[in-house]
Amino acid sequence: MIRFPSVSRRLSRNWVTRGLASAAGNLPNSKSPIVAKLNFFNSVQSEGLIPTFRVLDGTGKLIDGAELPEIDEKLSHKMYENMQLLPTLDNILYNVQRQGKISFYHGEEATIIGSAAALALDDEVLGQYREMGVLLWRGFGIDDVMAQCFGNEEDTSGKGRQMPVHFGSTKHHFHTISSPLATQIPQAAGVGYALRRAPNRRGRSIAACYFGEGAASEGDFHAGLLLASTIPSPTLYIARNNGFAISTPSTEQFYGDGIAARGPGYGIDTVRVDGNDVLAVLAAVREGRRRCLEQGRAVLIEAMSYRQVAFRYSERHHIDGGWWNAEAEEELKVRLKADVMKAFKRADSIKRAELGELFTDVYGGEEPWNIKEQREELTGLLRKYGEVWEPWRTELAKFKNNGQDLLKS
Amino acid sequence: MHTTRFSARSLSRISIPRRYNSTAVEPPPAGGHLPSVATSEILRTTRDSALRTPGLAFADEDGSGPSRPIVGGRETRKMNTYQAVRDAMSIALSRDDSAVVFGEDVAFGGVFRCTMGLAEEFGKERVFNTPLTEQGIAGFGIGLALMGHTAIAEIQFADYIFPAFDQLVNEAAKIRYRSGGQYNVGGLTIRTPTMSVGHGGLYHSQSPEGFFMGASGLKVVIPRSPIQAKGLLLGSIRDPNPVIFMEPKILYRSAVEQVPVDDYELPLGKAEVLIPGSDLTLLTWGTPVYHCEAALHMLSSPSPSLEPLIPASLRSAKVELIDLRSILPWDVETVTESVKRTGRLVIVHEAGMTAGVGAEISAEVQKRCFLKLNAPVKRVTGW
Repeated sequence: MIRFPSVSRRLSRNWVTRGLASAAGNLPNSKSPIVAKLNFFNSVQSEGLIPTFRVLDGTGKLIDGAELPEIDEKLSHKMYENMQLLPTLDNILYNVQRQGKISFYHGEEATIIGSAAALALDDEVLGQYREMGVLLWRGFGIDDVMAQCFGNEEDTSGKGRQMPVHFGSTKHHFHTISSPLATQIPQAAGVGYALRRAPNRRGRSIAACYFGEGAASEGDFHAGLLLASTIPSPTLYIARNNGFAISTPSTEQFYGDGIAARGPGYGIDTVRVDGNDVLAVLAAVREGRRRCLEQGRAVLIEAMSYRQVAFRYSERHHIDGGWWNAEAEEELKVRLKADVMKAFKRADSIKRAELGELFTDVYGGEEPWNIKEQREELTGLLRKYGEVWEPWRTELAKFKNNGQDLLKS
Repeated sequence: MHTTRFSARSLSRISIPRRYNSTAVEPPPAGGHLPSVATSEILRTTRDSALRTPGLAFADEDGSGPSRPIVGGRETRKMNTYQAVRDAMSIALSRDDSAVVFGEDVAFGGVFRCTMGLAEEFGKERVFNTPLTEQGIAGFGIGLALMGHTAIAEIQFADYIFPAFDQLVNEAAKIRYRSGGQYNVGGLTIRTPTMSVGHGGLYHSQSPEGFFMGASGLKVVIPRSPIQAKGLLLGSIRDPNPVIFMEPKILYRSAVEQVPVDDYELPLGKAEVLIPGSDLTLLTWGTPVYHCEAALHMLSSPSPSLEPLIPASLRSAKVELIDLRSILPWDVETVTESVKRTGRLVIVHEAGMTAGVGAEISAEVQKRCFLKLNAPVKRVTGW
């Protein structure tokens, strides 16, 4: 997705201003009324829009009637740092994409960090492509991120086979991202069922599935929620509604009241939350997870967000709580930017995995003849053209061992 | 049926030709009838011949010992194809705690009885119905397999597999590759009734195996008989790759064999030569195996009406009949070895001609056997 930082900054300041104008009030685009109490529903409500749960107001103070979720300094600091790291990575990789160094990039913060903090570290996560924050939260390093985005030989996510942001890590319980939208939704129902079936994880772990409000138009959305609500499986569905799917605004995506309106259709506990309020997201996902485990059934959380770059509600609270100060903030920004730049430069210079990896991992067990023969066909072509044809020679040099793994076989 | 006023005694002296109109007594079975299957010599209807099925590997024997010509000791039981499929799943569920069976209507036994009694035996948590959504069934199965569980999913008719095409081709086939080997869905097996039944029309008769042949990462298997179905299904369930197992529905009841009751597997990716020959290779899979067998009989001893159309010189042709069994990957070695000897290949499949499995096989065979071919590769297919 292409982002235009200067445009969204200008618009978001307007929206933020309007949000500040009334203490509780309504969300900017959808006009959903803001409420301070977390209230899950699972049947069709009376008239009016589904309200949005929020904890902090535009200045970072608690809104009337809201309660702070349980959070200590260590957790708060970790959330803050990750929420700073994400846009730092965001900005650098976004610019790198504009320069053509990598092919694809985008990001979102409070929803992702708030939910990551509420999940258990081994809850199985099935994302769409904006959930790098969950991986960062779980300890996936900046070097691992860069390796995947550059597709170099250190790419543990996929050996350089996929486009950028298609992360995956069994160690971090983060299922490998794929480009087709919404395919993870019914898969998450199956993952949840496996967790229910496994004696060492039943009642302890859930599957957490992220997707955008655009992807939720796919048939797989209906199939997934139908299965997870009916079989049932302990799968927590987190819909990120940021009002756009590439260029398509929500008004052209659906006529109903967002994604939350669909939850009651499946009879599952549902709530709408302000996705830009990291503490509200934390509280909602904690409660959603608890219900998911208790019922062994799907729960749906719709996190509303809107493009804004500069202002994050949690910052003020963190600062006001006396846990932070302006110097520490500057120091953090500088340090993170330096870390990211260092990782970026390093990743840019590392070669791709061996060329032969083009043909491995297609099948498990014995390799079928057709794959073997295709490898041999490439090897034959390399022998003939690899040295003498300059474009091929240049391309081969980008791979570890310059194709020798094939030529020597 | 006609009634008469004659007494029972007088009836016994008069020979009234008896006409049994089966539709008056009971409707044809949903899976259909294929009479020539019942008399097929390809089916192994004795315990002895069943236990000598080539490639049969019992689970409790390792392959290290010498192959024994004496079959001794093992039990077989008369089973039709749906009973053999059921037997395979029962064994899989018994041996593998993570195994589950799911799909539309499987709990009560399945529309073709393939899951009869399984829910009662293994419980609702392991054998259960899903809502009516093939893309959901496939996705759910992928999720289970991602966690290392054994997922045996049923798509009620192969004609309805298309909503699951995205999940199968874009996801299941590619998960191992795209994750650099970190994740895989080898535990996934999709079973689905396939091919024509006579009365099925457009939507209960299809053979969609060709659509999946291009999805590297998947395997596609089609058994011709009960012994084959049980062994290949167990082989498919245990194969470390997602497998689509297509069961010719017309054979569910009409193909009957003595099936070994123990846990055994047959190899994937390997064709089987059913009738050796030297003049022409006849390659097929699934239901047409029996049509091919019948055709060979008609060739060697044609009925009076066909005699003028079949030159006498051809009637002694020795045709080599091969059951491909696995469509992906397919056994190119067995096929080309045969064609290099015979010089002629006819491929038979129910699916339509254009871009069917026969097209891929033809291209590969002509490339490898070009100088040995005495005629172009011929495809005899559905229209």
